[in-house]
Amino acid sequence: MDASSSQPLTFYDFLDRMRNPASLDLVRSIKSFIVSFSFYAPNPENDGKRLQDFLVTMEDAIRDHPLWVGATEEEIDSAIEGLEKYVMTKLFSRTFAASPEDAKADQEISEKISLLQNFLRPEHLDIPAVLQNEASWLLAEKELQKVNAFKAPREKLLCILNCCRVINNLLLNAAMSENHILAGADDFLPVLIYVTIKANPPQLHSNLKFIQLYRRQEKLVSEVAYYFTNLVSAKSFIVDLDAKSLSMDAVEFQESMEAAREAHKAAGVKPSPALDRTATLAGQMDPGPSRKMWFRETDTRGLSNYPFMEAKAGELTVGDVETLLSLYKDVVTKYTNLCRAVKRLSMSKTETPVLVPLSEGTHASPPQPEGRTTNVNDKRGE
Amino acid sequence: MGCSSSLPDRNSGRLGGLNAENGGAPDAKNLRVKLVLLGDSGVGKSCIVLRFVRGQFDPTSKVTVGASFLSQTIALQDSTTVKFEIWDTAGQERYAALAPLYYRGAAVAVVVYDITSPESFNKAQYWVKELQKHGSPDIVMALVGNKADLHENREVPVQDGIDYAEKNGMFFIETSAKTADNINQLFEEIAKRLPRPSSS
Repeated sequence: MDASSSQPLTFYDFLDRMRNPASLDLVRSIKSFIVSFSFYAPNPENDGKRLQDFLVTMEDAIRDHPLWVGATEEEIDSAIEGLEKYVMTKLFSRTFAASPEDAKADQEISEKISLLQNFLRPEHLDIPAVLQNEASWLLAEKELQKVNAFKAPREKLLCILNCCRVINNLLLNAAMSENHILAGADDFLPVLIYVTIKANPPQLHSNLKFIQLYRRQEKLVSEVAYYFTNLVSAKSFIVDLDAKSLSMDAVEFQESMEAAREAHKAAGVKPSPALDRTATLAGQMDPGPSRKMWFRETDTRGLSNYPFMEAKAGELTVGDVETLLSLYKDVVTKYTNLCRAVKRLSMSKTETPVLVPLSEGTHASPPQPEGRTTNVNDKRGE
Repeated sequence: MGCSSSLPDRNSGRLGGLNAENGGAPDAKNLRVKLVLLGDSGVGKSCIVLRFVRGQFDPTSKVTVGASFLSQTIALQDSTTVKFEIWDTAGQERYAALAPLYYRGAAVAVVVYDITSPESFNKAQYWVKELQKHGSPDIVMALVGNKADLHENREVPVQDGIDYAEKNGMFFIETSAKTADNINQLFEEIAKRLPRPSSS
């Protein structure tokens, strides 16, 4: 697949170049772009378009930049990849699952999947027995669940591709060793749907939307776009899934769904482990319907230190000038210190997850989320 | 920035949203097209594509072979090349509603039926109507009657396919993925019918 164009160290390379004094103009543009987001209430479509335009503009700037003189297409490309990752990591809390509708959609899908998990079997999607390979499926599920562990759109997308690659390998192996006739999408999609249901990947809706809006457009094409579309398609199938979608009696389907609901209630099961996080995130980021609500955090915290926040120009007297000036100096000092601290933090290498490059071999090397270990490797041999 | 006139290639490539990941910017001589395959499950959609991809030029060449996405480049006599990016779709009835996600933005749709199955021919007609309603208006459509090698079991007369295709402004061909009959012709014919970006 085509997603592996960047080498593992490119993000560090990008950060290194950004530390070079010669890149000061670029750093300024990037910072002012990131800051500009705080001037408007979040609007996913707009935000997505602004990011895409910004990446295009920056690509031109980087191509013409002294630091990239004589750079190959690949080097330019990895600079833009680094830029996308940097900016989207900074803007993540604003852009990911940002609206209450997104949080609701995530929760509904997750709940529906957790009900389906109680009774859905591969036969209900007419998945042939030769493709029912628990080991492969488990590997694919793990890849899919990792999507939520990354912030950068490219890395999220890589997890989806890894999942699809595992399924493809399963189909190809079945074709070679079991004489199963390759049936392309007729086989691929049902397996992907089943794997998605088994995995119940956290915040599925929001992750797909985020990739769609914020992955560099020229990278979401061709094979990558195909597999991404398949997961979008699997999600859509699950959302609309009813008795008619399955090889299952309608009455039996209703009864099974009901029984699953009862079972969940009785066990007091939270529909999904992801939900707690979803709820917190939504709580933190819920911008509310109006601008005023968007700023409510500022209003309630530390307002007493800045008595002129609600003041109008006409209400001020000459005597206020001294207080205003001292407050102004205070704010500027704090802001400057904050900026320095944020910059130091963001430029620190330890913060970024290590992305293992995808190999072209039969098994993908999945990217490892920061601070997590997985036991996927234990199951590789199967 | 501010130098778009000196960099026409870069900007035109991006506008089309087609900038190849391998740096091969498409132009009038090297097209890249999205082709979507539609048709009932079991009509041999994937077999047609596998035959096309594996049988072209050098059979030992390593092409991207996924199970459902394949790409293949063909060279035409006028020294242009066309890279087909072939999107397979699941043909089972229960996935029919998902098809628009796949044919959105496709330059070519190949609608396949099985000449031994009138049902699959009906389904093909359903897809053609769908595409006419919801597909891109300048999409190139081909109607393909597959399994032509099974002529003793034929249930859809050649003439029915010809007539239906003609009525709907489609290219028609009968193929056999099994014997490779007409497979390359199908894709070459499609390549010829593609609208060319106007070259200066």
